[in-house]
Amino acid sequence: MNELRSLITLPKEEHSSTELPTIGDSLPTPPEVCERITSPPSIRIDMAQTGFNPALARRPQIDTHSIHLETPLDFVPSWTPRRIPIKCIGLTLPEGMEFLPPKKDPASSPKRVACETADTVSSETELLPKTQPPRKVTRIRPPADALSLQDRLFYLLQPPLESWLAGQELIMPFEPFAYQYEGIAWLFASHSALLADEMGLGKTMQTITAIRLLLRSGQARRIVLICPKPLIPNWQREFKTWAEELPVVTVEGNGARRRMLWTMPGIPVLLANYELMARDIAEIPDEEQPKFDLLVLDEAQRIKNRDSRTAEVARSIRRRRSWALTGTPIENRPEELGALFEFIEVIPKNASPDLRQLSKLAKKYILRRTKDLVMKDMPPRIDRDAELEMTDAQESAYRTAEKEGVIQLNELGDSITVQHVFELVLRLKQITNFDPLTGESAKLERLMADMEEIAASGGKAILFSQWTKTIDWLAPHLKDFNPLIYHGGVPSKQREPILARFKQDPDAHILLMSYGTGAVGLNLQFAGYVFLYDRWWNPAIEDQAINRAHRIGVKNPVIVTRFISKNTIEERIDRVLREKRELFQAVLGEGDNENVTLSLNASEIFGLFDLKARHKDGARSIGPNPHFSQRNQTGPPELS
Amino acid sequence: MTGAGIQKADGLRLGFMETMEVDGRGHIGGLLITNQNGRPLEFQCTTPVRPNRTQEILFGETLRPWLLAELIGSTLLDRVAIKPNLIIISDPGLLDLRNHTHIPVACASEARSRLTDECQVVRMGNSVLRFHDAHTIDAESLAKQKHLLPESADLSEPLERVREALTETVRTVFAR
Repeated sequence: MNELRSLITLPKEEHSSTELPTIGDSLPTPPEVCERITSPPSIRIDMAQTGFNPALARRPQIDTHSIHLETPLDFVPSWTPRRIPIKCIGLTLPEGMEFLPPKKDPASSPKRVACETADTVSSETELLPKTQPPRKVTRIRPPADALSLQDRLFYLLQPPLESWLAGQELIMPFEPFAYQYEGIAWLFASHSALLADEMGLGKTMQTITAIRLLLRSGQARRIVLICPKPLIPNWQREFKTWAEELPVVTVEGNGARRRMLWTMPGIPVLLANYELMARDIAEIPDEEQPKFDLLVLDEAQRIKNRDSRTAEVARSIRRRRSWALTGTPIENRPEELGALFEFIEVIPKNASPDLRQLSKLAKKYILRRTKDLVMKDMPPRIDRDAELEMTDAQESAYRTAEKEGVIQLNELGDSITVQHVFELVLRLKQITNFDPLTGESAKLERLMADMEEIAASGGKAILFSQWTKTIDWLAPHLKDFNPLIYHGGVPSKQREPILARFKQDPDAHILLMSYGTGAVGLNLQFAGYVFLYDRWWNPAIEDQAINRAHRIGVKNPVIVTRFISKNTIEERIDRVLREKRELFQAVLGEGDNENVTLSLNASEIFGLFDLKARHKDGARSIGPNPHFSQRNQTGPPELS
Repeated sequence: MTGAGIQKADGLRLGFMETMEVDGRGHIGGLLITNQNGRPLEFQCTTPVRPNRTQEILFGETLRPWLLAELIGSTLLDRVAIKPNLIIISDPGLLDLRNHTHIPVACASEARSRLTDECQVVRMGNSVLRFHDAHTIDAESLAKQKHLLPESADLSEPLERVREALTETVRTVFAR
């Protein structure tokens, strides 16, 4: 700065010794002036000869002023880092129940990672791809009715089922199929659920695993499972297989003991049959009524009549979650779904949703998979109808019974009811099985021929009939094949050993079962042959029976043989049922042939003998109403 | 391992931390505490945090580590009742959290990935864990105890859960 000032200020001594010229003084010649003032301030002034030289020659006055650049600034902005306040949203997940781990075979204990010698690896090391190829991951999704953030986060934060069940906390005896993982995840996240997988796809395993996860994750502490009495041993066995660590208590014993079991806290899983449930729950006073986190109804079609005592008691049980399991959510009429929806508490009491509403509810609350969709690699089920000519004795007995029966029916006139016709049908069907007088049977002849072949190849077969009498009659005729009998007349405690022997004894080639006892809940996939000795009224029941053998785990095709006596009532029933099977597909979606299963209604039973349906007492339709049929033109209208 | 270190297997608690940017609202973070098998025990997430313009200018390149690690990460760690023995992240930018806590912080990546930088790594389960350069002792300590985790453990998977939970939180709460 001082240097700058010196540039434009004349040197002091020079300034003092030189007087400034005034007007009138003789001026030095211009070059001199220029010389003096340009050194040291180097200012160049050009003098032009314009006539104003005196003015121009006047020495310019130059002055300076100083600037104090070191003066401090008036404003210094200051800033101190400040922590931004942050709010948090927290969720603590329930601890869940811990169970004693089952005793493990050391050889089969889950593998733990072994320490490697080179624990720490340095950079530039390519880590060997020890990982397995990525598997499909099944995430648990929050249910649509979970509205609060905490509820939704609870489900989103659960690990994928595959890793949850991959031998870390929950040991699985077998690797579930992908669709089973999906079913487990769906059940786990559902408060109201109807699992309606086709028979044989593993509803039991999916339910047990979902129960296991609920208990483990602290979502449930007390669960009750209701099933038909014959299936209690089956559930006990399945729990042992799939959830060995879970304490399962079966409601049994005298009244006092049962009441204690119903009301005693601390039992994670309670198993009971429908009859005991209906009896015991009704007797427990209101203030002592047990409360469950989950109520599961197996074979839930048992409550399809919503006015039945069983259905009412089931609905009265206090619970937070309701699951229904059935392979046949509709056995006869779509309206039966209403009873199941009422149980799982998605429709009000006594509500009667129409077809559109049922369909909407079904999409939301029903999970239904068929073998065709999920088990593409499963060995096929080969159906074949054996249309048999009756023996002469059978033919004669049949024609006589039919002729006399029809005459009697016509004589009844307007007093005829469906019961009268039904009795004739039963009588005729029994004759097609065997002639009661001579014991001749075309079906038995065919069965013997087939069984010789099956036994020779070491195979096993299951035979179904609707009559225990027929089964008992067949047994001695089949003694060469060591038949085993399994029907309602066999005490419950003897049934499991019979099934075990059928599985283990290589000489036991045939199991004779009744539809009522053997159609549901049993795993007999080692049998490669199924015989339907006579036809049930409802193809759904027949399918349930067939699926005892044709289910998960089956390694070979299952051959199903339906015996149908030609030119008899069986042929007519078969034709009507085939037509009806195609009638409805609306409620549970396209491609589902298993639920198109409707029993014969009164009009159809009259139609079997060309009798006109009466509309008086007893002729009440037990099938779908005509209005429903006409709206769904996927088959013929009601037959009459 | 320093500080809390890894304890016995049945007491092992893993923390999985993720952050994400919410359009126009800033960043949020989530911390999931699980047991050694991945079962969730506790979850905390923050509301969106947005630095102001002054902070953006003055923090410069250090803004992101400050925001994610020091602000969001430390807050989450303070808030969880169950303190983890190890914090696993997927964003290397969060490794700076280690400078603000005594708990080891590891960045998980797939075991197949090839690492090129000069850092120490430990393979656990299906993942490779990287540690903060200034805390190499974490890697050595953890390597000695990695057998406490199941071999099949996928340490990246819970981070996906945290991301989904954050997305759900944004969708449910902050999008209103």
